[in-house]
Amino acid sequence: MIHLRTFEYVPGEHEAEKASNSYLMSLVALIAGLPLPIVNLFATLIFFMGNRKSTYFVRWHCMQALLSQFSLLFINSFGFWWTMGLIFGKEEISDRYIAYMIALFLFNLMEFIATIYTAIKTRKGVHVEWFFYGSLANQLIKPRS
Amino acid sequence: MESSKVDMFIMSNNKYFESHQVAGIREQLLGMDESKWPILQTQQFKDPTTSLIVSLFAGNLGIDRFMIGDTGLGIGKLLTCGGFGLWAIIDWFMIMGATRERNFEKLQLAIA
Repeated sequence: MIHLRTFEYVPGEHEAEKASNSYLMSLVALIAGLPLPIVNLFATLIFFMGNRKSTYFVRWHCMQALLSQFSLLFINSFGFWWTMGLIFGKEEISDRYIAYMIALFLFNLMEFIATIYTAIKTRKGVHVEWFFYGSLANQLIKPRS
Repeated sequence: MESSKVDMFIMSNNKYFESHQVAGIREQLLGMDESKWPILQTQQFKDPTTSLIVSLFAGNLGIDRFMIGDTGLGIGKLLTCGGFGLWAIIDWFMIMGATRERNFEKLQLAIA
């Protein structure tokens, strides 16, 4: 799921700090923005925009942090509105809802742990590529010529 | 400029700049004319740690952005109440870098 790769160049101390901050910020935004799932996506998007003129390493990790929030957005939004429907609507709690909530919790926990691990590794200058999101970030972010 | 003066300046002010900028600043100052030393000495730089503390406590009012000289962004932050709290959180992680960048720009203006 998570691969440690060699980056094109050895990132400097300031780059590692900024790249690591993108993951840390997404964690803080996730906790501050609960239960609204869109908050986290906006936060990582603004953080990426703020660092768009930064170095390749920083931009790459900001993009990976941003992309990783997309899948969470869909899963959490669905769970959020399903819960709202149960609270304010006539629908009752079903086995399917409980199964979905367990899956949602596990997915969020996995993402949370992966984000903390990546933040720690990136702070040390290690390039961490996630499954799927890493390849997408490679496609979207290119080094400046 | 004399290397002893440059090294003294670097030692006392390096925390105000990004680590990768310091070597470049040293080179620039070494090649600078001696007459600019008094201007350089009078420069007041903003402390990134102070900006972070201000951002933590008054980020929702945009005071941190006003402090480093980003008046437009400060007004935007003030009117939106810290970008509905979101921008304030993002700035906790960005304000130190932004402060160092502003200090670098200020130094470039002073020695230009």
